[in-house]
Parts: sequence; C-alpha cells; structure tokens
Amino acid sequence: MQIVKFFIQKSWLLLIAAFCFGVLLAVTNAVLSPMIEKNRIEALNQKMRHLISDANTFEPAVEGVVIADAKTTIYKGLNDANEPVGFAFVGIGSGFADKIQLVIAMDAKCQKLKGFQVLMSNETPGFGDKIKEKWFQGQFNDAPADKLQLSKSGNIEEKDDTIVSITGATISSDAVVSVFNTYIKEVKNILKKEGIIQ
Amino acid sequence: MSSNTNTISLGSTFSRGIWKENPVLRLLLGMCPTLAVTGALKPAITMSICVMFVLTCSNIVVSLMRNLLKPHLRIMMFTLTIATFVTIADLAVKAFAYEMSQTLGPYIPLIIVNCIIIGRAEACASKNNLVVSIVDAIGMSVGFALALCAVAAARELLAAGTLMDFSVMPDKFVPWAAMSMPVGAFVVLGLLLGFINAITNKSS
Repeated sequence: MQIVKFFIQKSWLLLIAAFCFGVLLAVTNAVLSPMIEKNRIEALNQKMRHLISDANTFEPAVEGVVIADAKTTIYKGLNDANEPVGFAFVGIGSGFADKIQLVIAMDAKCQKLKGFQVLMSNETPGFGDKIKEKWFQGQFNDAPADKLQLSKSGNIEEKDDTIVSITGATISSDAVVSVFNTYIKEVKNILKKEGIIQ
Repeated sequence: MSSNTNTISLGSTFSRGIWKENPVLRLLLGMCPTLAVTGALKPAITMSICVMFVLTCSNIVVSLMRNLLKPHLRIMMFTLTIATFVTIADLAVKAFAYEMSQTLGPYIPLIIVNCIIIGRAEACASKNNLVVSIVDAIGMSVGFALALCAVAAARELLAAGTLMDFSVMPDKFVPWAAMSMPVGAFVVLGLLLGFINAITNKSS
C-alpha cells in the first residue's frame, strides 16, 4: 500500500496530465478524423480521375483484398453509359527512404496500363522524387499490363515492357516497377477469379 | 505576476528570439526542418505556423504548471506536453491542408524532437510567468519563421525562379537544380550564417 502511495505522490501530476492530454487528443481526433478521411478519398478520386479520364464515377469492384501484406481496394471506373472503362487501385512498396504509395490504373480488359500517380512518397528531392515527373510516368501509359523490366537506357517513347530508370535514383525507379510487378499480376488474378474480367 | 515580469522587459524578450538569440541563425537549433522543408516558401511557412502553435501552447502549459513540476518529472512532462500539441498540429494540417501534409511528410511529427521547443520549455517557460512565456514563444517562433523563410525564398527563387509558386525571374533564367536538393539547403544556410556572423562581428 505504501508503495502505491509513494508512486502516486511522485507521479500524480504526470497521471493527471496524461489523462487530460489523452482526452484532448481523443476529442481532436474525433473532430478531425472525418475531414482527414474525406481529404484522403478526394485525393484518391482525383488521381484515379486523372488516370482514367473517360470515367465519371468510381465504385469498388473488389474490396479489402490483401496483396503483399497490405489491404487494398480495386476500383472500377464507369463512363456515362455505366460501362467499365478501367480499373484502379493503390499499390504500396518500399522506396529509398520510406514506403511509397502509388495509384495504378489499367484499361477495362486489363491488357494495357493507364499509368500511375504518386499518392505518397518521401523520396530524395532532386533524385527519387523524379518518379512524379511526366517523362517517367509517361513510360507506363499504354505499356502492356504484364511483368515490367527496368533498364538503365532505352527509348522512353516506346510503349513496351521496358522502363528506363531515373539516373541517380535506381532504387526509387526499381521500387515503382516492383510495385507494378507485384500488384498487376495479383489484381488480374483477383478480377478473373471474381468473374469481372475474362 | 512574478517579479520576473518587472525585471525582464517584454519587448526585449520578444526581440531576443528574432535577432540576439534567433534559434536558427544564432543558436543553431531546429536544423532538421531548416534543411528539410525549405525547398519552397509554402512548406516553410506551414512548418513555421506549426512550430508557433506547438511552442506557444507548450510554453503556456509548462508555465502554468511550473510550480508543480518536480525535477524527476520535468523532462517527461515537457515531452508529454509537446507530443500532444504536435499530434494536434499534425491532425490539423492533414484536415485543412492535406496536400501540404503530404509534402511535409514526417517533418511535422518530427517537431516533437525540435530542440527549440524543449529548450524554451526548460530555459523560459519553467521559470517565468504566463505572459513572459507567451511572448518568448512568439518571439522565438517569429525568429524561426524568418530564418526558414529566408532560406526557402532563396532556394525557391534559384531552383525554380518562383516565389510562392509565382514566376518572378525573367524567361531566360536557367534554374539551379542543385538548390532544390539537400546540398542547396546547406549552401544557402551556410552563406546566411556567414552573413549574419559578419554583421554581428562588425557591429560588436
């Protein structure tokens, strides 16, 4: 009993402060969480709309699928006539400094890629963050939705399975290609299994 | 109010943070955000606002409970207080400036380990009354903001020819790519520190 009394005498301020700060954080989180979630969805929709420009709405095709130990949702882009015009999903991989999150899009038959947008990355400015640049992202547009290869040189205009890496940022370039190679195969299998594509 | 208010002028407390004891340019504290988020003016301003919020709130709380603080709990209480306000700042940026929160990445949560905040809690707020603590926090935050904005403005101008995303350089201007890289931050900060030292040495 004396130990408890001693403990409380020494740390009562810390206990009260921890409780008050905990309540303050819980209230702040309750107020701001819906706004943060709304922002997150809006950012994702904006990037999907950018990739599949002929889609007017997006709806989940398959929810909560686990690929590479991360949960993701495969979205279906629908045009005015409510026909599917493409699929998009968020892929996660290990970049140079931190995890990178990409929004990846494919056409309705899952035969060709429609490119990618960076949802989150902390790659090195001036090097790894060039994965956000148009010339690098453009290589993925209309590339076959199969296994991609990374090359140090090549023609970036050619729409094939070879992606030219960023000079000085091979790890970041490789991270992007790895995300594609991990996810594309799995997503196609899931969509086939669900009977969404043939 | 304690007797400290009478002995320390509020004006000098405020100006101390801007020039004489500028946390970045004179005390060399808070180097991590100074080097990391000064690629452009907008992230630098956002970081400065977050630091001002955290520093002011933590100084207020520490000053209010300074008479209850026991030596063995001091650092723990400071850390708990700072971590709380940093988490609030982080959530607020994510809610009201989502894109900026993505740009700043881990650097807002890293305010927790910013030496300016814990330094002012220890050196000022735990020894002075509420008014002095608030004025000190604002002075230090303004000093921090000015240093950050000076580095960010120089880097953005030379790296992209823009200020706050507005083009200000002539069309013929060739951007200095190095300025957007970490090396640019070190070079600009080094030159700024040299310039400030030259001024202070001359005036003394």
